Amino acid sequence: MLIIDIIRVALKSLAGNRLRSFLSMLGIIIGVAAVIAVVAISSGAEQQILDSLNNLGTNMITISHGMTRGTGGRISQSTTDLFTYEMADQIKALCPDLNNIAPYVDGSGLLVYNDTNVQGRVRATTPEFFEMVDLDLAQGRMFSEADLEESRLVVILGSEVATDLFGETNPIGQEIKITRGNYKFSLNVIGVFESKGQVMFTNYDSQVFLPVTTWMNRLQSIKYVNGFSAQARSNEVAEIAVAQVEYFFYQRYKDLDKVNVTSQTEMLSMASDFANTFKILLGGIASIALLVGGIGIMNITLVSVTERTREIGIRKALGAKRRVILFQFLIESCTVSLFGGLLGLGFGTVVAMLVSHLGGWPFQVTAFSVAIAMGFSMMIGLFFGIYPASRAARLDPVDALSYE
Amino acid sequence: MIQLQDVSKIYQMGQVTVEALKGVSVTVEKGDFVAIMGPSGSGKSTMMNIIGCLDRPSKGMYKINGTNVEKLSDNQLAELRNKEIGFVFQQFHLLPRISLAQNVELPLIYAGVSSKERHHRAQEALELVGLSDRAHHKSNEISGGQRQRAAIARALINKPSIILADEPTGNLDTKTGEMIMSLLIDLNNLGNTIVLVTHDPEIAAYAKRVVRLRDGLINSDEVNPVPRVVGGGE
Ligand SMILES: Nc1ncnc2c1ncn2[C@@H]1O[C@H](COP(=O)(O)OP(=O)(O)OP(=O)(O)O)[C@@H](O)[C@H]1O
Ligand SMILES: [Mg+2]
Repeated sequence: MLIIDIIRVALKSLAGNRLRSFLSMLGIIIGVAAVIAVVAISSGAEQQILDSLNNLGTNMITISHGMTRGTGGRISQSTTDLFTYEMADQIKALCPDLNNIAPYVDGSGLLVYNDTNVQGRVRATTPEFFEMVDLDLAQGRMFSEADLEESRLVVILGSEVATDLFGETNPIGQEIKITRGNYKFSLNVIGVFESKGQVMFTNYDSQVFLPVTTWMNRLQSIKYVNGFSAQARSNEVAEIAVAQVEYFFYQRYKDLDKVNVTSQTEMLSMASDFANTFKILLGGIASIALLVGGIGIMNITLVSVTERTREIGIRKALGAKRRVILFQFLIESCTVSLFGGLLGLGFGTVVAMLVSHLGGWPFQVTAFSVAIAMGFSMMIGLFFGIYPASRAARLDPVDALSYE
Repeated sequence: MIQLQDVSKIYQMGQVTVEALKGVSVTVEKGDFVAIMGPSGSGKSTMMNIIGCLDRPSKGMYKINGTNVEKLSDNQLAELRNKEIGFVFQQFHLLPRISLAQNVELPLIYAGVSSKERHHRAQEALELVGLSDRAHHKSNEISGGQRQRAAIARALINKPSIILADEPTGNLDTKTGEMIMSLLIDLNNLGNTIVLVTHDPEIAAYAKRVVRLRDGLINSDEVNPVPRVVGGGE
C-alpha cells in the first residue's frame, strides 16, 4: 500500500471528526505557539537590548566605586575618594588599549529660567565623554579648554530640558539658575544636544551637562569624581583594557574590590544571559504544553484505534499487514500534530507580532524556529502515536472483526 | 485446495478452556462448493477463521493450496489472505466512511496495485454484481442486499482461488438471499472454490457438498447429488 493512500485514509478519518481532532490538537497548538512566540519575542527583545547598548557607545568601559565588604553595613569613606580628575590622563597614559576616557560626577539641582523650573539631573564631565557616547550638538558649542581650566559656569542642555525650559526661545546665550541647597548659581547655556531617546535606563535628553571642574570647584567643592567612562580601542581588546585599568588601580589601592571596572561586552553578555533565562523558562512551559499536547494526540489516537477496531479487523482480513496498520495510525497521529503545529505556528506568529509591536522591537520569526516547532510537533506525533498505532497493528484479526 | 488434518482449536478463558474444534479433518478440492452446517456453537465460524488464515489451529495441520500455514508469519498470512481468499461476512463489514468503489478497491491497495488499475477493476467488479451505478455511494446509503453484493465484489476483486462466506444470507430476506446465492454459484462456475456457513437448509441445498459439525467434530460429510438451481426452487 502506498504511503499516499495511507495519508489519504488518515486525512479522511480526521476530517470526519473535525471538532474532536481540533480539541486534541489544542495542546500542540498552544505548545508550538508558545515556542514560536517565546523565541521570537525573546530574540527580538535581546536584539533590542543589544542595539540599545551599542547606542550608548561602543566598547564602553565603566569605572566606578566597588562595594566595600565587611564593614558592618557602614559605607566606608574610602570608597568615595578613589578617583581624581587628574587620574583620567594617568589612566589613559598607562592603559594602551584605552581609546578615550572621561571623568564624571553625577548630581542634581533645580534648574530655573524665568518662571519655569525643572528638577534636573546633572552630569559633569569632559568633552571626551560626548565623543564616546556619540552625543552630538544640535546647536551651540562644546566645552572649551578654557571652560574646563577656569571652571566656567557654562552648561549644555539635553534636548528635553531645553524644550521644557525655553519652549520656542533659542536657549543659546541665555542664563539659567541652578539651585543647590541654599546656593544659587547662574549658568550660561552654550549648547543643546540632539535627542537620543531613552536608551536602556539612561536618557541623556533629560539631563544637563557641566564641565566636571565647574561642578567640583564651584557647585559642590569636592576633590573626587564619581568615576570614569572609558572606551576600549576595539571589542577584541575590551577585556585587556579592563585588565589594564584594574591593574592601574590595584597598584594604587592593593584591593580589587574597591574599584569596579565593567566592560560593555560584559553587559552585553548579561543581557544575553537574561534573554536566555527567559527563553529557558518559557521554553520549559512550552515543553510542558507540548507534552500535554502529545498526550492529547496519544489519547485521540487510542480512541480512534478503539473506535475502529472492526475496521482494523476488516483491513487485516483483506490483507493489510501489521506495518500498514501501524503506518496508518502513525500517519494519522503525525497529521494531527503537524496540523496542530501549523495552527500553532500561525497563532504564535500573530502573538509574537503583537508583542513585538507593543514592545517596539524587531519582529523575528526565523526559519530556524519554524523548523524547530514543526520538527517538534512531527516528533511528538510519532512518539505519542507509536503506542496506539502498535496496539492497532497487533490486534488479532478475529477478535477485531467480532468487536462490537 | 483446502486440507484440514486433525485440526483442533482451544480457547483459554481464564480457568475455563473451550475446545471449539476437537480434531477436524476435511479436504476441499479446487472448484468445490461446500456448505457447512451445524447448531450454534458447534465450531463453524472457528473452522472458517482457520480456513481463512485469520486464525491458526491449536493442534493439527492446515494446508492451503499446498502451503502449511504453521510455518508462515503473520505478514505472510496477510499476504495469503490478500491473494488467495475472498471473505463475505454476515455483517457485510464494509467501511462506512468510504464509497463502495473504495471499499471494493481495498484488497488491491494492499496488493500494491496502481490506482488507475484499481479504479478500473473496482468498476468491473461492481458491474459484475450489478452495482456500477452505486459506485460512489456509501454503504449506509444502500440496502442490505446491495451491501452484500458490494462485499462480494470486494471478495472477488483480487481474483482469489477461495471464497469464504460465513452466513452471507443471515441478515437478508429470502429473495435477496437467493440473489446472493446466484452470484456465488456464478463464481463457483467460473472455478472458484466456495465454502459457505449456513443454518438454512434451503441455502445449503445450493452447495455441491454439505459438511455438518456438532460440538467441534464432523458429524456428517455428504455430497449433494442434485444442487438446487436458482429460480427453480419450488
Ligand atoms: N474468541 C473466543 N474465545 C473463547 N471462546 C470462543 C471464542 N470464539 C468462539 N468460542 C467458542 O467456541 C465455540 C464455537 O464457536 P463458533 O463461533 O465457532 O460457533 P458457530 O458454530 O460459528 O456458532 P454460530 O452458529 O452461533 O455462529 C463456542 O462455544 C464459542 O463460545
Ligand atoms: Mg458463527
